[in-house]
Amino acid sequence: MADLSFTQEELDEIERLKDKFPTAKAATLRVLWLAQNKYGHVKEEIQSLVAEALDVPKSHVHGVARFYTQYYKEEKGKFVLDVCTCLSCQLCGGYDILDHLEEELGIEAGETTEDGMFTIQEVECLGACGYAPMLQVTNGVYVNNLTKEKVDTLLENLKNGNMPEFESMAMPELEKRNQAASK
Amino acid sequence: MPEVFIDGKRYEYDEEKDEMLLQFILDQGLEVPFFCYHPSMSIPANCRQCMVKVGTPVKDRETGEFELDEDGERKIRWFPKFQTSCSTRLQDGMVVLTQESSEEVARAQKDNLEFILINHPLDCPICDQAGECPLQIQTYKYGPEGSRFEVKKVHKPKHVDLGPRVTLDAERCINCTRCVRFTEEISETHQLTIVDRGDSNYPTTGPGETFDDPYSLNTVDICPVGALTSTDFRFKARVWEMNQTPSIDITNGKGCNIDLWTRDNEVLRITPRQNKEVNDYWMPDEGRKAYERFNENRVDRPYIKLDGDNQSNTSWNNAIETFAEVLESNNPGDITIIGSPHASVEENYVFNKFFNLLGTSNAKFTPHVIPGSGDGFLITDDQAPNTNGCRVIKLDETDEQSIKATVSAAKVVIILSDDLIGRDILSSSDLNDPYTISFATNNTETTKASDLVIPITCIAEHAASYVNVDGRIQRSYPAKETKYTNRRLNLEMSEGRLDRFGTNFDNWVSEENKVDCLPIWDFLNKLGDRLGLDFKYDHSREIFAELSNSLDILSDVSYERMDEEKGVQLPIKQEEVKA
Ligand code: SF4
Ligand code: FES
Ligand code: FES
Repeated sequence: MADLSFTQEELDEIERLKDKFPTAKAATLRVLWLAQNKYGHVKEEIQSLVAEALDVPKSHVHGVARFYTQYYKEEKGKFVLDVCTCLSCQLCGGYDILDHLEEELGIEAGETTEDGMFTIQEVECLGACGYAPMLQVTNGVYVNNLTKEKVDTLLENLKNGNMPEFESMAMPELEKRNQAASK
Repeated sequence: MPEVFIDGKRYEYDEEKDEMLLQFILDQGLEVPFFCYHPSMSIPANCRQCMVKVGTPVKDRETGEFELDEDGERKIRWFPKFQTSCSTRLQDGMVVLTQESSEEVARAQKDNLEFILINHPLDCPICDQAGECPLQIQTYKYGPEGSRFEVKKVHKPKHVDLGPRVTLDAERCINCTRCVRFTEEISETHQLTIVDRGDSNYPTTGPGETFDDPYSLNTVDICPVGALTSTDFRFKARVWEMNQTPSIDITNGKGCNIDLWTRDNEVLRITPRQNKEVNDYWMPDEGRKAYERFNENRVDRPYIKLDGDNQSNTSWNNAIETFAEVLESNNPGDITIIGSPHASVEENYVFNKFFNLLGTSNAKFTPHVIPGSGDGFLITDDQAPNTNGCRVIKLDETDEQSIKATVSAAKVVIILSDDLIGRDILSSSDLNDPYTISFATNNTETTKASDLVIPITCIAEHAASYVNVDGRIQRSYPAKETKYTNRRLNLEMSEGRLDRFGTNFDNWVSEENKVDCLPIWDFLNKLGDRLGLDFKYDHSREIFAELSNSLDILSDVSYERMDEEKGVQLPIKQEEVKA
């Protein structure tokens, strides 16, 4: 990869992030994130770049990057689809959704489509069991209560560059309680 | 004095020391199993093996008195969960139940071990750590009989060259982070980190980095399992086949305390021996390589130059005769003797004394210092283990030029264990004219250029003392036999299982690897006999006793005291020494 570096603007931002924490080490998460937003991944050379920018040991940045699955240690597709197959989602058909996606995109979980558009990953519980099955798009929005049709529309939209909107999910029980309380 | 009750027994403790419960328990000679705790590093409390039940007495808020139960005993408020003793601070009145008195605690420790072992490969039969493995030992003592986890184990990298000297088997790792903390807190190279998570994590280096820390092999010692192994020592010997003999690192001036591990009279590995005053639990990797020079490239039987530059082996009798003739046919004034910071106090002393008796002038020596090669920790600029020892017995300290000058003016040069040519102080042509005699442990440029070479014992073969850069005198023990010593007869030598139970007729005992050499005092005894000198020392202990009688600085120092106190600090001014 040719010539990796942060721009002056990014370096200023890194300084600002550093100042927010008592130690430079503590800013590792944020700066890795900044780097991932720029490059789309934090491969080893990017980790080294981050370590240099923060002046912390490379091993430390490497350890942090490898701990969190949200940091991509290899190049991924433009859209990373994290399909939950943990207990609740699994019971509600998480694997059907995963199979369907795999079939539609012609790849398996862990792989990226040839055009570099999509990556599918199988992940554990994302804390959205209440509206299972679900998936997350590139560390961002959740798409909930999935059906095969919903998956097809999602793919269509993404191909056209339309990210799904953030969906505020109602919690029926909580709402009932709130209503009762406000009466 | 504040008190704690451990398994029903009362102990007093020193509040000043601010000790943790586990360390206190260990200090009392009691035991609680543990893995991640290390007395010289920070306490992460991540292995959870050291769990004990802890409570504190209940006090009446108003009166400040202890509340008592019906039986008149103090009421104890138990902590809601078991505590990791490594990270629990002692408190006055604290009550502790370990696995010895609480079945609950024993059960918790057992269950914890079952968890730790879920994905452990249990490959003890082929693992280097077996026999000295805390995981193996604790499992035998406190672990479950078997495992309820019959599912396939998680696999991880099985052979990773972390660096030039350390090999990782990630499957064996229990993620105690001792190795990572070592590079962060002790060697400060920050070369290691733990990667990935849950049951698939293991230590590794940063991107593009290799674990070439000059202290890297210490992680092999402190790894509580066989995950980190020494690339060099791997698969060479089982620990129970070896003898362990205390000794001193001679590769630099620090004098790290070490153990020599021998089997069949070969030193197979060197590990640090704890000494708070010198090296704590650590030693540089460089010092561990010294075992090679104890085994290989040794001067074996005397060598003599007969025709031109060709050396050949000769008998001891002939060597003594030749030596004596050279001494007899030359004026003492024409003989130069050169002592060595690489040899022990005792060797330098008898060497100097013997030739002084014949009328030569005092032995000279030149320190072997490479400025800038030290690191302020355990690696020193001084390349020799006994520079201060030569000063203590008052050899003439000279610089390199004047050594060269005296050599060229002499008719006979006698050198003790110092590779003056290899050190670039002399060139081999300097030794062309004078008749050169070397006492040496190993073949060097200097022995090659010598007319007569007398093989002497190395630190692994004799008891002798060395004074380190800080002025601390410490001693060695014989660890391997020479042609003329016997482990069974020499009560000073340690015996391992193979020595005790093996005979020469067993095919797993080898009589090879015994070097044909003598302690220098033994050789000088014989030479003295031939020359009619009053000179006799049966043991280095005798030599040291004489020294201690004649030198103020050593007056209250003895082998016994060095043994008991792991060396004795001499009143040597530090500034003088650091040269
Ligand atoms: S390799 Fe050894 S020392 Fe390092 S974390 Fe694993 S078990 Fe601990
Ligand atoms: S199981 Fe899928 S979000 Fe919890
Ligand atoms: S030794 Fe206490 S938790 Fe590891």
